[in-house]
Amino acid sequence: MRYFRLFLALLVTLVPGVAARAASSSADVAHLHVQLVAPETTLSPGEPADVGLYFKLEPGWHVYWKNAGDSGEPPRIRWTLPDGISAGPIQFPAPKRLPLGPLMDFGYENEVLFPLTLSVAKSTKAGPAPLHAKVDWLVCREVCIPGKAELEIAATVADHPVKAVASAADVDLYKRLLSLVPEPLPASDRAVFAPTADGFRLALTTGQRESSGEFFPAEQNILSNPAPQAVTATATGLVLDLKKDPNMVAAPAQLAGVLELSGGRNYEIAAVPGVVAAAAPKADSTGLLRAVGLAFVGGLILNLMPCVFPVLFIKGLSLVQSSSEEKHKQRGHGLVYTAGIVVSFWVLVGVLLGLHAAGSTLGWGFQFQSPVFLALMASLLFFLGLSLAGQFEIGLTLTSAGGSLAQKQGYAGSFFTGVLAVIVATPCTAPFMGAAVGYALAQSAPVTFAIFTALALGLAAPYLLLTLQPAWTRLLPRPGAWMEVLKQATAVPIFGTVIWLVWVLAQTRGAEAVAALLATFLLLAIAGWVLGRWPARMVSGVAAGVVILAAVAACVYGVTAFAGPVAASSSASNPAGASRWEPWSQAAVDKYRAEGRPVFVDFTASWCLSCQVNERVALRTAQVDAAFKKANVALLKADWTERDDAIAQALTALGRSGVPAYALYASNTGDAPVLLPEALTPGIVVDALNKLPVAATASNP
Amino acid sequence: MVWNSQLSRLSCVIASLLVGLSFHSTLAQSVRVGAPAPDFKSTDSNGKPESLDEYHGKYVVLEWHNQGCPYTKKHYVSGNMQSLQKEWTAKGVVWLTVISSAPGEQGYVTASQENSYLSQMHAAPTAVLLDSDSKVARLYSAKTTPQMVVIDPAGKVIYDGAIDDRPTPDPEDIKGAKNYLNEALSAAMAGKPVPTPYTRPYGCSVKYAD
Repeated sequence: MRYFRLFLALLVTLVPGVAARAASSSADVAHLHVQLVAPETTLSPGEPADVGLYFKLEPGWHVYWKNAGDSGEPPRIRWTLPDGISAGPIQFPAPKRLPLGPLMDFGYENEVLFPLTLSVAKSTKAGPAPLHAKVDWLVCREVCIPGKAELEIAATVADHPVKAVASAADVDLYKRLLSLVPEPLPASDRAVFAPTADGFRLALTTGQRESSGEFFPAEQNILSNPAPQAVTATATGLVLDLKKDPNMVAAPAQLAGVLELSGGRNYEIAAVPGVVAAAAPKADSTGLLRAVGLAFVGGLILNLMPCVFPVLFIKGLSLVQSSSEEKHKQRGHGLVYTAGIVVSFWVLVGVLLGLHAAGSTLGWGFQFQSPVFLALMASLLFFLGLSLAGQFEIGLTLTSAGGSLAQKQGYAGSFFTGVLAVIVATPCTAPFMGAAVGYALAQSAPVTFAIFTALALGLAAPYLLLTLQPAWTRLLPRPGAWMEVLKQATAVPIFGTVIWLVWVLAQTRGAEAVAALLATFLLLAIAGWVLGRWPARMVSGVAAGVVILAAVAACVYGVTAFAGPVAASSSASNPAGASRWEPWSQAAVDKYRAEGRPVFVDFTASWCLSCQVNERVALRTAQVDAAFKKANVALLKADWTERDDAIAQALTALGRSGVPAYALYASNTGDAPVLLPEALTPGIVVDALNKLPVAATASNP
Repeated sequence: MVWNSQLSRLSCVIASLLVGLSFHSTLAQSVRVGAPAPDFKSTDSNGKPESLDEYHGKYVVLEWHNQGCPYTKKHYVSGNMQSLQKEWTAKGVVWLTVISSAPGEQGYVTASQENSYLSQMHAAPTAVLLDSDSKVARLYSAKTTPQMVVIDPAGKVIYDGAIDDRPTPDPEDIKGAKNYLNEALSAAMAGKPVPTPYTRPYGCSVKYAD
């Protein structure tokens, strides 16, 4: 043994750096003081004992955490202990970030205590017990110096209880620094993470708002060490945006490490994969401007989406009607129509924010998930269709005769058209709108309203511009008898929309609900007949009102009372290739990716017309189907026709708030999915499949 | 409707502008194993200009070096690095030692200082790049000395990381260590994939220029 020691000592002197050989409990070497600290030097058999390794560093010098970061190495300790005594691993206090040019290390400046526990077996013999440790470390400032020391505590094992305190200084040191070791995360708190495009989003729930936090990964080569960690405080904790190491080989099954919060709270966490609320990108002015811009363009394009198309007819009609009026009246119509759109958006957003605040996970288009809303919407459009087809005049009967009322009715009509446009527009997510709405709903209320106002103005813009610049309306034909024909023709697309709504309801509520709705239509038709047969009479107005109320009651009752949801029937009747689409679940996504297959998720709903169009023209075509087969893609369909919190959360995690949304996951589980645009063509899908990493197809048998 | 088609044309223009903008900002540079190695222009200790492009078609090893760093000394005092240099350059590999320390920092050397160090140490790299403005280090996100990067004849990074799996300054640890550089070059030359293409490099931090 002695020779071995001598050999080691020789070795030590060969290695650069300064080494201490003396069997003392402390050593003063280059740039630091190192010491073994024991609050108690009298050990009792069967009782664990605390010891610690303490460093006091010269200013600017540091030693390292267990994950040293971009450079550096943690200290190591190797014990030589009497029989019966064994040492546990050293525990690392919460570190600091130590920037070094473009690099980032994790470690400690000034002073640090690494505590550990000795276990003393019951059979340990009483008597002197030298606790001997070989310690080596790396201490750095700009330069790094490796160091070694052999330290020893002259402890004693006593078989009867003796309280012999080693030194008051050791006890103080130990007590003072022990609290810096991170604690396990309390059972009530939760840490989850989700992959993003360039890293991970880590969410911690503590039950209170956390304004600051720093994460130190236990594993190397998972995160980019120097990347700043953006903190977003949430109502119940915080979200950290972490950048991954660009060379990360495999995605971690969990994200383990130390999370430092304000007030010196340090927790040892092991975050599990889960759903983390949307990016909540900082509401900086460029992000906001971009979102507002996207929302405006999205609103413009919304005019061309299939769900808004029927309303275009009504708008076109009112434009032609008003072209005979004076300029200022036309402008009035345009402004009132815009106001109708803006106000309805505000109301919708207000309701949505209220529901969010109440803890609901509803997304954009949520009202279409309510069968009652669907039925009322279908009834309203049906009634409107009857009026347009010529059964009765809304204006003549619902507002009684009077000089200036024709004009008022005109403005009310414009406002109503705006409201209608918004109501039917919500199930459509137009290109650019998804990103803007997803961003908006993750922001503070004023920002949300600003973005939705931009969306509203985008939707209103074409019509508003035409009325503000009446010269352009000369392109339209002059008013005449043909207008009556056009008005009646407008009923056709409106009835078409009714058919669509009835189809949606039939999918989720079954034949009984449809029967109830059709009965409602009958009652509405009777009311319309009364209004048309005896126009402009109080009596008929009242009678029609009663019938309409009965119709609404029948409709609500019928839809809610009859038949539970007929789940899963919707996907069964789909055309070619449908059998390969499986219902979505996060578990299914993880499973297929673990098998090395890419995954395509179609977030859809039967009330979403854009979704149906995309499925018909792109996803279910032979070309795309062949491409899916070639890339061995697992196809999952997330049907959001009815309320589903898991789907809502998954959409939120993708930074979206509504359907359609299309996510393509590469088989490499660490990568965030690629989001496809809201308007698909076969080419877009095939291009996205071609861009999948090669590994995705390699495992294809 | 007339305005409808005008509107759609307008939206197309705006849409393509926005798409263009959003893609532009995502271009960021970082070295990735499996990706093309970025070309560099530097000068070697004999005053000769060096670039990666001129070695296209050959295996290239980049070795980050700091002669004052204990971890570098471990591999030079023991002669380990020199024998690796001799072994692989004999097989046609281009070995470029890169010194990225800024003037005044540990490891910074002039050309003549470096040349006398090379002869004293019997080191045999193909060339030593004097990268005192740390440009090459930044291109490759070099972290430590020694850090090893292997580039294949097609110009692709096939290994980035530590020289071996014993992150200590102790020369005794060289024996029995798994040498990642040997592993990467042997596998690649045998036409096999590199078993461990990426590790955490160990050693002293690269002394970057501001």
